[in-house]
Amino acid sequence: MKLPKLLFIVALLIVFSTGYAQDSTLIEKNLKILSAIPGNTKMVLTGVAWFGFQSTFNDPVKTDVTNSFNSYGFSPMFLWKLSDKMFFESEIEINNGAMELEFAKLSFSLNKYMTIGAGRMLTPFGAYGERWEPIHIERFPNSHLLPDDNLLPDDTHLYYGAIMGVDIRGGIPLGSSKMNYSLYVSNGPLLSKDENGNPTGVIQYENLLDENNNNKEVGGRIGILPFSNSSLEIGFSEKHGIAGDRGNPVYGKTGATAYAVDLSYVKSIDAIKSTINIRGQFNSLKVDKANYYLTDSTNYTFDNTMQNYFVQFSLRPSMSRNKYLKKTELLFRYNALTPPKDALWGAKDNNGNGGTITRMDVGLDYWLSWKTGLRFAYESTAFPNGTKAKEFLASLVYGF
Amino acid sequence: MKKIAGILIAIAAVIGATIIINGCAATQMVIAKTGTQLWGENCIRCHNAPPSSDYSSAQWETIGMHMKLRANLTDDETNKIVAFLKSTD
Repeated sequence: MKLPKLLFIVALLIVFSTGYAQDSTLIEKNLKILSAIPGNTKMVLTGVAWFGFQSTFNDPVKTDVTNSFNSYGFSPMFLWKLSDKMFFESEIEINNGAMELEFAKLSFSLNKYMTIGAGRMLTPFGAYGERWEPIHIERFPNSHLLPDDNLLPDDTHLYYGAIMGVDIRGGIPLGSSKMNYSLYVSNGPLLSKDENGNPTGVIQYENLLDENNNNKEVGGRIGILPFSNSSLEIGFSEKHGIAGDRGNPVYGKTGATAYAVDLSYVKSIDAIKSTINIRGQFNSLKVDKANYYLTDSTNYTFDNTMQNYFVQFSLRPSMSRNKYLKKTELLFRYNALTPPKDALWGAKDNNGNGGTITRMDVGLDYWLSWKTGLRFAYESTAFPNGTKAKEFLASLVYGF
Repeated sequence: MKKIAGILIAIAAVIGATIIINGCAATQMVIAKTGTQLWGENCIRCHNAPPSSDYSSAQWETIGMHMKLRANLTDDETNKIVAFLKSTD
């Protein structure tokens, strides 16, 4: 993309964002007026809106350079404190014109260490889905390399998206450390099918209405924060469920087991007048051995193990005296996705052997408030066959 | 199956070691932490720390419940952080 066009788009984003500063005082006044309304229940409407641009270079599929304003969305979140113990939360996401209910969950606090919840909830597996995916928390203009239909025959929602079920969760002090937990039972996963109705071996976890079998998925996460300042958290997650259709003679007992390890470290360091933020998650999915049928009635089997991970580092001079510098944040992210090597739908090298897709991202944020900011990133994705896709991404995220 | 057992044993060992080293009750150092400290330490774990002026006292109570669930904060942490945000609202 030519430099003048790029500068014009950056200037547009800055112009839109300056409107924020002028309106923020009026928003504050209206929020205070709303809070004075009497009643036992207390409701908060919050959320985020976004608008993005993408420019693609060297796309291995297309031959032309693609420049487009490629994303827009609005995601209101409704929070209701129904009593000191009962709470309801829900979020709708309208992304590029498609609307989806992200979650709708009722929670009841049983005691200081345990809250029970029920409904459609963000997947309590790993840290990414519940804590890092929300667009005002994700520092980059896009998510990391996900096991979804851009790279696989279907979205997996392995560690992002929602489940339908019941969970218990809480935080527990342990001396100068603490731990937290989330344990759940939900409708189980299902085997994704091709256009002929044949399972492909891809697991689809967002099986919200559980129309394939009566088995339920069990899973959860345990987090440990060993330091008293909560700067480091390490999480371990596991889940298991039967994915095959009930009564199916071939896949009826095909199960899927997944693990995840997540880590986050956030520390303000006075010596460099900056805050560093390191986060990452490793995910592994193993599906029981099964034969998969092709359109010509032949079948094949493979070791159905998939792994992916990302590691992200950011540095923000938050303690700098320069009022512009303290609002910037430098970002770096490395991602990798390894589909099952012998699956026909996995990424292949030029010899037909399965391989790993890797991606590297470099980015820069400029924060206008704690929830609103401009984001810019350059990313390069490398495929096992030697091709590369390079993109420039920009977005404006507006929190309210 | 052996792998599952091995991972579960490792997780249990980490938790067990943490409990043995630290005990179950919060130490005096942790109990003495102020709402300001806890706000500064916990809110930045995922997102930028929100200023208290962004929401009203009643809204902070509601938001506090949401964050207790989302971040799995302890009960004590949540109460202190909300009290801090309400006091400076």
